[in-house]
Amino acid sequence: MNALMIENITKRFGEFYAVKNLSIKIPEGTIYSLLGPNGAGKTTTIRMVMNIIIPDEGSIQVLNEKMDDRMKSRVGYLPEDRGLYPKMRVGELLLFLAELKGIQGQEARNRIDDWLKRFDLSSWKQKKVEELSRGMQQKIQFIATVIHRPDLIILDEPFSGLDPVNTKLFKDIMLEMKNEGKTIIFSTHRMEQVEMISDNICLINKAEMVLEGNLTQIKKRYGKNTVVLDYDGDASFIEALPGVEKIDDYGKFMEIKMKERSDPQELLEKSMGKIRINKFEVREPSLNAIFIDKVGETNAQNTRGH
Amino acid sequence: MRKILAVIKREYIQIVRTKGFIIGTILGPVLMAAFIVVPILVQFVSVDKQEKIGVLDLSREVFMELDNKLDQELKDGNRRYSFLEFRIEENSDQLLEELNKKVLAKELTAYIYIPENISEGGVAEYVSEHVSDFDKQGNIGQALSSIIIEKRLKGEGLDPEKIGQHMRPVRLDTKKVTTRGVERDAGGTFMISFVLVLILYMAVIFYGQIILRGVIEEKSSRVVEIVLSSLRPFQLMAGKILGIAAVGFTQYAIWSLFGIAATKYSKNVVSRFFPAAADFPIPTIPAYIFVYFIIFFILGYFLYGTLYAGIGSMVNNEKEAQQLVMPVTMFLIVPIMLMTFVIRSPDSSVSVILSIIPFFAPILMLLRISILLPPFPEIAASIVLLILTTILMIWISAKIYRVGILMYGKRPSFSEIIKWMRYG
Repeated sequence: MNALMIENITKRFGEFYAVKNLSIKIPEGTIYSLLGPNGAGKTTTIRMVMNIIIPDEGSIQVLNEKMDDRMKSRVGYLPEDRGLYPKMRVGELLLFLAELKGIQGQEARNRIDDWLKRFDLSSWKQKKVEELSRGMQQKIQFIATVIHRPDLIILDEPFSGLDPVNTKLFKDIMLEMKNEGKTIIFSTHRMEQVEMISDNICLINKAEMVLEGNLTQIKKRYGKNTVVLDYDGDASFIEALPGVEKIDDYGKFMEIKMKERSDPQELLEKSMGKIRINKFEVREPSLNAIFIDKVGETNAQNTRGH
Repeated sequence: MRKILAVIKREYIQIVRTKGFIIGTILGPVLMAAFIVVPILVQFVSVDKQEKIGVLDLSREVFMELDNKLDQELKDGNRRYSFLEFRIEENSDQLLEELNKKVLAKELTAYIYIPENISEGGVAEYVSEHVSDFDKQGNIGQALSSIIIEKRLKGEGLDPEKIGQHMRPVRLDTKKVTTRGVERDAGGTFMISFVLVLILYMAVIFYGQIILRGVIEEKSSRVVEIVLSSLRPFQLMAGKILGIAAVGFTQYAIWSLFGIAATKYSKNVVSRFFPAAADFPIPTIPAYIFVYFIIFFILGYFLYGTLYAGIGSMVNNEKEAQQLVMPVTMFLIVPIMLMTFVIRSPDSSVSVILSIIPFFAPILMLLRISILLPPFPEIAASIVLLILTTILMIWISAKIYRVGILMYGKRPSFSEIIKWMRYG
């Protein structure tokens, strides 16, 4: 069963393609991440799923049904452009948002109290929203997204602006929900978060899908063509070594993409003595490297095409 | 529907709880009452002092009669004016100089100069440090006139009392003929209708602005997309407009109670100060005018409220909104400016056409109804057109709202707005 099925959707704004011929299938009970640089079409896709924007072509099925108002109470949505009524009290606001989702009265109040406790915000219940920090507001928005226990949760950039502690808290809750059988879709451009929790990914660039599938399989497909080096010293010579296709240098840490049929051992031999090597690992590329690689590739194609 | 109710409830509670609303609702009638009561109180409380006024009567005929005529008393029983007669001994210039000095030294409030030939058209003078008390000057002028006129008439051998009887003005009563007969109408009914039209005008502008600000706030605080994950843009817009309507209803209900209480008790209060006012009938609004008022009020509110909501969704802040609101506000101001024309010729064909135009109808048709009940087909035509236009505007605004509410950045051009309506 698919929690979300998108078939060949296209959305144009005038001449500009925001999303072009996109198809996605998301199995129930999985975590799916939408990746892509800014302006790739992630938010437009999500808004079409939420029936906020109507696609020009194609069809969308949410939880095996057409998206409509009734479905909205089975879906939780945290938009990218998000805010709260600044003058309302936290408790009141959550009650209002719960009512909009059809949760009322004591039931709503109990759930709100539980969530505020979980996020350590109980003492803020009577405060006005404008007194809260941005991180706190983000937690309130998250509560509003899941207060009605939706089967499908769509989070547009859920981690942006969160500190590591709260990022972990959000991640834990997302995993918990997955274990309860719920489906979670989230968009981001921070790869380390994706690698840790996603089952499947979809990479969008310039309105089109460039990569989709199971994260483990995608990495396998790329093969162990990558060397990760943890080092001290001046490693600038590595780029010129034979067998090296591309490097991604962070100063003390380097991800090296090897050419096909080259031998990483050769690289190790040539490096010894020149730099101090703390760690040498041959493995699949990081998602970050795949991302940069793919986005760079499609952008280059487009430039050539013009 | 339950979702719209939740929005209505939120709008209502959030606004009614603000200090602005509470203060405005209480202060409104207090201010209005103050406008009426304060001047009366000032008159009542202020202690007048006797004024000394010098009289230089060269004709030697006027002083006594002036002193007799202007014999009003102050509350303490003293006379309001104490007239002092001055006579010329040798040099009139010297005496005038002396009188001027007395005025400047505040020994006299003023002095009156009466020339010898006052009966033959000579000009009297009132000399004081300030000449802005028109009430007093008018009194003195009138007293002098009547004294001199009487003298002239007597000189001709006529009886001033008889002449007075002949000269009394004719009374012109105004009456209104309606299908129910002829009624006396001193203009009070019209005045009340006029006030109703102004109330409609002010309420539509005032609550329209609240709708506008509410939409902009939702947009600029970026809460709107969270809300829209639960309901349709149309439901949010409808809930907002209805919620603010409920706020307006509450405010006017409170004011009406104040008003009813005031008319009930004010008559007693007023007649204590002005016994004559007790006979003045408090004008009543005929029921049919009130019914039409409610109809046009509701329709006008929804027509303009929707426009304000649509505009709010297009802009990023209130400053941008002001430019777009201008044309809408003009639609409200134009009929207000046309009011005098319609009042003068309520059944001219221009008035008829103007009052049927939907954007003007709430003000101008209501005005016509209160002056001269137009034939029913005209009223029906204006109401039907107004309803159709309101529905059309709700449809258009909802489309614009749907796209606009999620658009940030540059204010859209007209052609972009047309495109938005197609996206929706």
